Amino acid sequence: MKTLKILHMYADMLDLYGDGGNMEIMKYRCGKRGIECIVDKYSIDSEMPDFSAYDLIYIGGGADLEQQHISADLMKCREGIVKAYEAGTFLFLICGGYQLMGKYYRDADGNEIKGLGLFDYFTVAPSSRKLRCIGNIVISADIGGKAVKIVGFENHGGQTQGVKTPFGRVLYGNGNCAKSKCEGYFEKNVIATYLHGPCLSKNPEVADYMISYCVNRGEAEPVKLAAIDDELEKQCRKVMLDRLLKK
Amino acid sequence: MKRLQILIGKIIVKMLRLLHRNAGNLPGIILWHISRHKAVSMFRVDCPIIAITGTNGKTSVTNCIAQLFEKSGKKIITNREGNNLDTGICSLLLRHCDMKGRVKADMLILETDESHVPVVYSQLKLDTLIVLDFFRDQLDRNGEMETLIQKINGFCKTFDGNLILNGDDPNTARLGRANPDNRNVKYFHAERYAFATDKIFEASEGRFCPFCGEPLEYEYYQYSHIGKFRCPKCGFGDYEPYITASGIDLEKPVFTADGHTYSPKLNSIYNVYNMTAVAACAKLYGIEQRITDSVISKYTVKNGRMENFMLGDRKATLNLAKNPVGANMTLRVMNEMKGEKELLFVLNDNIADGLDVSWIWDINFSIFERVTRVVTSGTRAYDIAVRIKCSGYDPAKIVVRPDLDEAVAELASTEGRKFVIANYTAVQPTRAALKRYAAKHGGESNENA
Repeated sequence: MKTLKILHMYADMLDLYGDGGNMEIMKYRCGKRGIECIVDKYSIDSEMPDFSAYDLIYIGGGADLEQQHISADLMKCREGIVKAYEAGTFLFLICGGYQLMGKYYRDADGNEIKGLGLFDYFTVAPSSRKLRCIGNIVISADIGGKAVKIVGFENHGGQTQGVKTPFGRVLYGNGNCAKSKCEGYFEKNVIATYLHGPCLSKNPEVADYMISYCVNRGEAEPVKLAAIDDELEKQCRKVMLDRLLKK
Repeated sequence: MKRLQILIGKIIVKMLRLLHRNAGNLPGIILWHISRHKAVSMFRVDCPIIAITGTNGKTSVTNCIAQLFEKSGKKIITNREGNNLDTGICSLLLRHCDMKGRVKADMLILETDESHVPVVYSQLKLDTLIVLDFFRDQLDRNGEMETLIQKINGFCKTFDGNLILNGDDPNTARLGRANPDNRNVKYFHAERYAFATDKIFEASEGRFCPFCGEPLEYEYYQYSHIGKFRCPKCGFGDYEPYITASGIDLEKPVFTADGHTYSPKLNSIYNVYNMTAVAACAKLYGIEQRITDSVISKYTVKNGRMENFMLGDRKATLNLAKNPVGANMTLRVMNEMKGEKELLFVLNDNIADGLDVSWIWDINFSIFERVTRVVTSGTRAYDIAVRIKCSGYDPAKIVVRPDLDEAVAELASTEGRKFVIANYTAVQPTRAALKRYAAKHGGESNENA
């Protein structure tokens, strides 16, 4: 039996808009295919884990206050996370998790929270807290060589700039900045995005891309994931895509 | 100018009445614009004002407190219909003021939306502010919850009136430190009840001390993040309760507060907290004990809050759930009930629902017991279906019927006990659909069914 090991970081602090649900979906989709999915949790003052022992590291989103709390702790993990990422561990980052992997996050009061600096984008929140990117969002992303529409919900004050390889092109909604063309950050083993919902609930292709990446990591002959019944998810996407993209 | 504005407002109210329209919000909105957003300051109120705010329980607590004073023979003005934004409060005052803007009453009891507390009460002098709780609710309308708490905290910094706070909610209790010079801060508290847990049971927020960032320690959790908490580092949570609910037994149901035993009609821990807040207010204003007794023991709710319907010979209980806490509460009640049952979940994503539906992922569906079928409906019927499926529930037992009448017919097509959960804008259409079904197929709709 294949095993997929996930480290869910700061689950108790960074969990906005159902972000925790992404882990439930990963477990569900692995389980349907007979893949064992272990989700370990790490939070402030947990024992330092061996990050490289994980196939995937997941961080969700949180309010400013929570991000301030974890920033110092995250710095302690820097070396371990960098090593794991370089060795091919997948990073799945939502909202706050996305911002904290960049150079810095400057909040509405001008306080600067240092990011891990793994990637060279940075995020600045406008001084007015009223200016937020809020609402449904649809992007078009290349998932395993296929153009896929991804549906979610965004709510962020922070404007992320300096992204060279975005996750997708915005078809509806805001994206990295207010009314921007691009959304998120992407590498073959990194998906960083503002999409909540939770993100994977309406986008099984994204979940399967990550599962497939993880189970085939280091395998000489990659295996294709068995198809599972996604009828409800398909209908769910259709309702939103019809509503949002109808001209 | 002021007189003219009030005159215009009053004419609008009259016109709406003539058109048989509810003058709930519109006159206030118009006045709000012509007065350059200072509509509330046009009124002169000389009597004490009590404001009730928080995520859950505002309407119940406001109604009970209004009754306390009414039964004491006071002339009160209150927003029973729950128009709780500044414009709604403005419309209410317009209907009750004279041409000079004077509001004549012995007491104003105002349910006030969390985000509107500072704007309304920077213009009207507040005697008592009651804060019930803060839960994740319609986050995107208000910005993040922390911003919301900061807003009210900012107001409390200069507020020196009575501040009645839920001492078991760290998000609420922290307001007690906003103004160190305020000697009128009072906390209500409830002792452990039978279903309290040692570990947190439902997803929640605010688990870290807002003052020093240390994880809070809990003696027990009553539900969600409500419970006896304390910060081990700075001592946040150490306070002398003004009033404590003890001997809570929800089987009967019964609880004791301030040495007096109450027998409420509703058997939930949420109601115990609400009624303890009511008892705290009664104590503060010296309400006669027999009046407090009668209000707390008679209070019950309609309008889709644990409301019963008969669909032919099948009993259905409808409950409003506008956030995970409310939904988890219904699931608990459903689970504690013996025998098989079916659930209809109606989920909308209209503006008042906050557009977003991801809160359903914070509902703990894995606790389902003896639930033989689930029907989903509403504008986001498929979202809730996907959510329940991913909790491990057999998708073959999930039926999606976006149309409400079809969903109710589907639910009623099998025998047995039914539960219905509907979110904010879904609850009234759902009630209407249940009533339509009952009217067509026999059965009745009343809370005693």
